[in-house]
Amino acid sequence: MNPSPSLPLNPDGLTRRGFLTLSAKSSAALLLLRSASSAAAAQKGALSWFMWGNTDPEINLWKEIAGIAHKQDPNLQIDLTTAGWGDYWTKMTMEAASGGMQNIVSIQSQRTPQFASAFQPLDPLVKAQNFDLKAFDATILQALTFDGALRALPYDFGPHIIFYNKDLFKRDNVQEPKADWTYDEFLQTAKKLTHGNQYGFAAFPYPDFCFPFILSDGATYLNAQGEIDVVNAAFVKAYDAYAALVHQLHVAPPLPATQDANTGWSLWTAGNAAMVVSGPWDVVNAKSSAKFEFGLARIPKGSKGSITVVGGSGFGISSSAKDRNLAFKAIAALTSDEAEERLASAGRAFPARKAQQPSWYKNAPPGSEEILNSTLNGGVVPFKTTPNWQQFNLLFVQYGIPVMNGQTPAATALQQVQAQVS
Amino acid sequence: MPSSPSKAVSPHSSIPAERHRRGAKPRKSSTDYTKASTVLAFLLPNGLGFLGFTLLPLLAALVISFFSWPVLGQHRFIGLENYIRLFTKDPVFFRVFLTTLYFVIGYVPLNLVLAVAVAVWLNSGIRGGKLFRLIFFLPVFTPMVANALVWRLLLTPHGVVDYALTLFHLPSPNWLGSDRLAMPAMVLMSVWQGFGYNMLVFSAGLRSIPRPLYEAAAIDGAKPWTRFRRITLPLLTPSIFFGMVMTFITSFQVFVQPYVLTAGGPGVSTTTVVYYLYNNGFQYFKMGYASAIGWVLFAVIMVATALQFGLQKRFVHYES
Repeated sequence: MNPSPSLPLNPDGLTRRGFLTLSAKSSAALLLLRSASSAAAAQKGALSWFMWGNTDPEINLWKEIAGIAHKQDPNLQIDLTTAGWGDYWTKMTMEAASGGMQNIVSIQSQRTPQFASAFQPLDPLVKAQNFDLKAFDATILQALTFDGALRALPYDFGPHIIFYNKDLFKRDNVQEPKADWTYDEFLQTAKKLTHGNQYGFAAFPYPDFCFPFILSDGATYLNAQGEIDVVNAAFVKAYDAYAALVHQLHVAPPLPATQDANTGWSLWTAGNAAMVVSGPWDVVNAKSSAKFEFGLARIPKGSKGSITVVGGSGFGISSSAKDRNLAFKAIAALTSDEAEERLASAGRAFPARKAQQPSWYKNAPPGSEEILNSTLNGGVVPFKTTPNWQQFNLLFVQYGIPVMNGQTPAATALQQVQAQVS
Repeated sequence: MPSSPSKAVSPHSSIPAERHRRGAKPRKSSTDYTKASTVLAFLLPNGLGFLGFTLLPLLAALVISFFSWPVLGQHRFIGLENYIRLFTKDPVFFRVFLTTLYFVIGYVPLNLVLAVAVAVWLNSGIRGGKLFRLIFFLPVFTPMVANALVWRLLLTPHGVVDYALTLFHLPSPNWLGSDRLAMPAMVLMSVWQGFGYNMLVFSAGLRSIPRPLYEAAAIDGAKPWTRFRRITLPLLTPSIFFGMVMTFITSFQVFVQPYVLTAGGPGVSTTTVVYYLYNNGFQYFKMGYASAIGWVLFAVIMVATALQFGLQKRFVHYES
């Protein structure tokens, strides 16, 4: 399971599979967390590291990464504490509020503005230690930058792209997406794949999933000051067109009221929808849960071309960390060539270091390299967000459902969202 | 009134005549102190819990409600601004409050009527009454989260209900995706989940009604409906009053259903006051604002409960 950069595990709401375990574990985890952090404090010279992780294999992989850092520099004693993806953000917030944050804290790019004040700017350390940022993808570095300061070194990233079910395409005799397909071609494809209980596409009003279509249609979601603006005419029009996939063209299924951003993904993995939007972090999940051949495709070209958002995650230094030089050495080691190589070969992360990306492609479906390369080289913008992104996210989904179902006009719903986030 | 046991064991304490003779302020004997400390000792566990987990947090929330209190960043005293914003500027609070009222008005009467009806039915001496009582009570002690999750799976598009309806060629609405149907679906689920508790309370109430009353009424020729209206219902009112007050309070505080079933949506059509409070406090991290919402709800529930106690004299029948 890979929760980063965005969701199989639905950061803001709850998933069916995630919720019960999360709620059951949370109190126990909190106790563990306390004892773990006090143990870390007791061990002299050790750095504490807080990371999300949902399964044992995932947590063990992160332990292995801490081991790689220690091997590179024996001064680096990194003690890992983990929490499930959902709990992670609550705990991190509470610890930041009480001043008890770990030294190294993991952060997702979409949440960088919200938590920026709890992280030390890395630029002075990059300069002082002569650290080479050029080895990383430039878009993810931008996405982890807030107020002109880099807040974390990235370990993974990924553009939102289309996953499609090859078996359904074959069965319905529909041509697979070309690399430069247009929105019209996408629509025709989706229509051909829709019949009975099967849908051509799984739409969901989660920003990460519908923004690629909206951006490709030439709209923006932030104004010149970097504030949320979802009531501009271009956005409303593009959003309306996205919702029409459900309520007018019926190529995507109607939605229940939920914050479960997994909704579309579940339909796709169950073989009930032929296409869905996700990112490279989900390839490993698709391979384990989908019982069909799948391929990757670019976001179809709209009036502005094919543009998608890029998010990712990395490790930063908390503002309460004392030895910032040592902490920087640690995050550099945790995102080193060797560490990212390991993460890539395990299928855990599409590496933010360009040189390590080939190891990831070895486990990806055929054709992935071409699709990801062409996307990254000419159709991505950093997923810029705002400090109140969490609130925006929840409201956007909450008000988006009736728009998708055709009960509320797009303009009305977007105005209500805008009124609450302004 | 029989004399209390404490009087029996300490006959010398608090004799009024003696007190009067000694003058102005009655001095307390050591047994008085022993008695007081015994009382205190018994009150202590509950009292400490009340103090630590109810009163202090309540007052702390009141204080926080006068602050702008983000979890990260500076706390700032802003006086009544949170309350002013809540009532004049918040684009959805009024709607959220009405939604909660909609739930209360839908849920409480349905719950009570169903609970009385089932309790009377199960007490009429049918076979397997005990088994049925257990079955109706089951949802009460299964976790609400699990119940709500199951209902979500039932009601979701392409779910079980959808499948069953289409099997009979009936139109299948998108229950949880429609702003008109989501709330009724939530009320139905909650009634199913919650009426068993009141049913159990009413069953106990029914069993305490003396049988001879019914026999006498039957001899006088009273039909079952008349017996129900003239005997059962009046004598059950103390239980009904208890059930009503408790159900009112808990339904104002409804949270798990919108949290699990609909995430407050679509739009705000199932966002209740407590769900809104939760979002403000633990999703948007506006603790001050969330505390203000909490205090408004507290006040509303207090007034509503006081009103019910006021009405008590009108309809509750107590055996003297």
